[in-house]
Amino acid sequence: MIRITELHKYYSDFHLFKGLSIDVERGEVLVLIGPSGSGKSTFLRCINGLEIFQKGSILVDGGEIHGLAKERLSAFERDSIRKVRLKVGMVFQHFNLFPHKTALQNIIEAPVHVLGLDKKEAEERAMSLLKKVKLEGMKDMYPENLSGGEKQRVAIARALAMKPEAMLFDEPTSSLDPETVGEVLTIMKDLAGEGMTMVVATHEMKFAEDVADRAAVFDKGEIIETGIPEEIFKNPSKERTRAFLSRVLDR
Amino acid sequence: MKRKRYYNFKLDCFGASPLAMTPLRTVSLRAPSLVSLRAKRSNLVSSLRAGSCEAIPLLKFLYLNIALFIFLITLILFSNPQSAIAQDTLEKIKSSGEIVWGSDAEGGAPYIFPDPENPSRLIGFEVDLMDAIARELGIKQRQFQNSWDSLIPTLERGDIDIAINGIEITPARKEKVAFSNPYYIYTEQLVVRAKEERVKEASDLKGKKVGTLSGSAAQGILEGIGSVDIKIYSGQVEPYKDLSIGRLDAVLLDLPIAAYYAKPNPLLKFTGAPIGEGYYGIAMRKGDDRLKEEINKILERLFKSGEIKNIYEKWGLWNSSQERLISGFGIRDSGFKEPQFLPSESLRVLSFLPFLLKGALMTIIISVLSMILAVFLGLILVILRLYGSRILSILSTAYIEIYRGTPLLIQLYILYYGLPNIGITLNAFTAAVIGLGMNYAAYEAEIYRAGIEAIPKGQMEAALSLGMRRSLALQRIILPQAVKIAIPPVTNDFIALFKDSSLVSVIAMVELTKSYSILAVSSMKFFELGLITALLYFGMSYPLSLFARRLERRLKRGLS
Repeated sequence: MIRITELHKYYSDFHLFKGLSIDVERGEVLVLIGPSGSGKSTFLRCINGLEIFQKGSILVDGGEIHGLAKERLSAFERDSIRKVRLKVGMVFQHFNLFPHKTALQNIIEAPVHVLGLDKKEAEERAMSLLKKVKLEGMKDMYPENLSGGEKQRVAIARALAMKPEAMLFDEPTSSLDPETVGEVLTIMKDLAGEGMTMVVATHEMKFAEDVADRAAVFDKGEIIETGIPEEIFKNPSKERTRAFLSRVLDR
Repeated sequence: MKRKRYYNFKLDCFGASPLAMTPLRTVSLRAPSLVSLRAKRSNLVSSLRAGSCEAIPLLKFLYLNIALFIFLITLILFSNPQSAIAQDTLEKIKSSGEIVWGSDAEGGAPYIFPDPENPSRLIGFEVDLMDAIARELGIKQRQFQNSWDSLIPTLERGDIDIAINGIEITPARKEKVAFSNPYYIYTEQLVVRAKEERVKEASDLKGKKVGTLSGSAAQGILEGIGSVDIKIYSGQVEPYKDLSIGRLDAVLLDLPIAAYYAKPNPLLKFTGAPIGEGYYGIAMRKGDDRLKEEINKILERLFKSGEIKNIYEKWGLWNSSQERLISGFGIRDSGFKEPQFLPSESLRVLSFLPFLLKGALMTIIISVLSMILAVFLGLILVILRLYGSRILSILSTAYIEIYRGTPLLIQLYILYYGLPNIGITLNAFTAAVIGLGMNYAAYEAEIYRAGIEAIPKGQMEAALSLGMRRSLALQRIILPQAVKIAIPPVTNDFIALFKDSSLVSVIAMVELTKSYSILAVSSMKFFELGLITALLYFGMSYPLSLFARRLERRLKRGLS
């Protein structure tokens, strides 16, 4: 479903990804774990075309993004990235809801203006998604009046409204109050249960263990090991994994 | 004659413009995120983020302003400029060995102007005349440069001992200053294009566009004809230039000016007999009777000896009329009839109000239209700069930097007087609106940029991740938020534009400031008219500034 081949990413002189390759199967839930700054977020942002990379390719359900050497993209390149984005939804650490729009307006914005749905149809779709994230009563609230957990659930509904083939989560609970983390994880768990293909960068080890089919451990821009989360946690094969796990699990 | 340039310092010294800006400037604090914007109004841009004006209630501001205003007025009323000059000027110049005479070299030939061969040296018939007078006084002479309109106030202030620069002896001026006996009899000369057939004399001017200089005798004559479309200029070169390219149908100005500037031009010709007649006199402070007597004696000597005739002949200014000046001496003032061109009876200040209000209306029209242009052009500029192709982005940045980095005045000159050289002739109104609009567009673009850059990057990313094209994301997500941030500083800019619009008076637009200076120069009521004009500006801009502040507070609440 998602195939990443030989991904190279430079930040001017700094070589972050030195040829990353990984496949994600349809319906699979892959978690990306590893220390901060190890490249998990950047990796997700590459899949969504928010970061350009210099070499390699990313295939998403037939759509493709190639490595590019320049900053300014041509109209054709922008369009092929857009095709990939239409297949994958993205959820951000800081929600990035549109502050000048209500919860409902946030959700229908892209379906109406990108997919060309008529407003009524988009609103019906949005209401069922709000129900799914248990926020049907909040449809007319502006983001500034929502809690962090509520904002993130609206953001998930907003991404789902585009009916993506896969969802990318970039540390979705990292900026939440502890008491609202659970409500977001529950939604994500439901989503996984429905068979959504998901790639999740997270520090929630419990979620990784319970929900993910596979974990990929990032360190310094490399994937140092992949495997079933439970097994990795119990018996990591790499010393760097062990060091990372002991730091997070001890907390 | 003649002319004025740039800002009228009188407006400034009444404290009008600083006052109007006070409520805006004093409340602004800098927000770190926006400091990078180096626009001249960057503090305004940031004020909206800084939550500053909440601290001081609106009413308190109002009182503060009124108090300041009253304070300034009192200050002006009680400072009598005359009191500083108690000393007799004749004694003063004799003891200092130098007489300081005010004139405006910018006004030009043949009065006083920079020598084309050596621009640091001033020449002209009045320079020669002053050389002779100073020699007769046994002292040196020194020229003091100031704009022509301001010569008499400068004399009153005491910066100069006398003013000699084609100053016509008029009843209004005689109320303010004393004049020597006339040293030149001028007439007004009508000039038209060489191929002109319709205009043969002054009475043909009805319904025609006729150029002249601000506050000149010719202006009074034209007003007397009635239904002439009078275009007021600040310099004497420009009206003839506009005449030759067809912006005007005729120019009426003092003969010395016409002789120097129009006669050599093959595109132009003199038409009709000289109109009107008046006298140039040397202006002195009232009460300087001894100086006046001394100078009158010297003038008489110079006329009798033929030295003045030589000077005038050297500059091509001698004609038979001047003979009367020689024979006229000895009769003194009483022998000369007053020139009949100024509305001397209607000098009550309030009678000027309709004219000022007309100017104010023009100020509003120009400001509104140029602001509309600035708002939209600025938007295009910022979008090209931030999101356009490399070339477009560079071009837009260059536009912004050039327009912000050069004076508006120069831009207006180039637009109005420069473009005809490459075949583009804009009328004054269009040039004024385009000039102001294009200048402010550069500032608006920077305000928008600050607004756009204040929107977190995540907003664009979220929009893109939902499959929006960049243009759609801009239109639906980024700009609506950026506009909220930009509206208060844009409103503040509008207030600034309001006052900057006074600069278009240099391209023959009669707006409020120009109306003021026309009236003030002819009536000599600089103070009263200045006050009324300042109040009119204030009355127009203060509601706007209140509106801006209200908007600022309301929008701040709306931002998360």
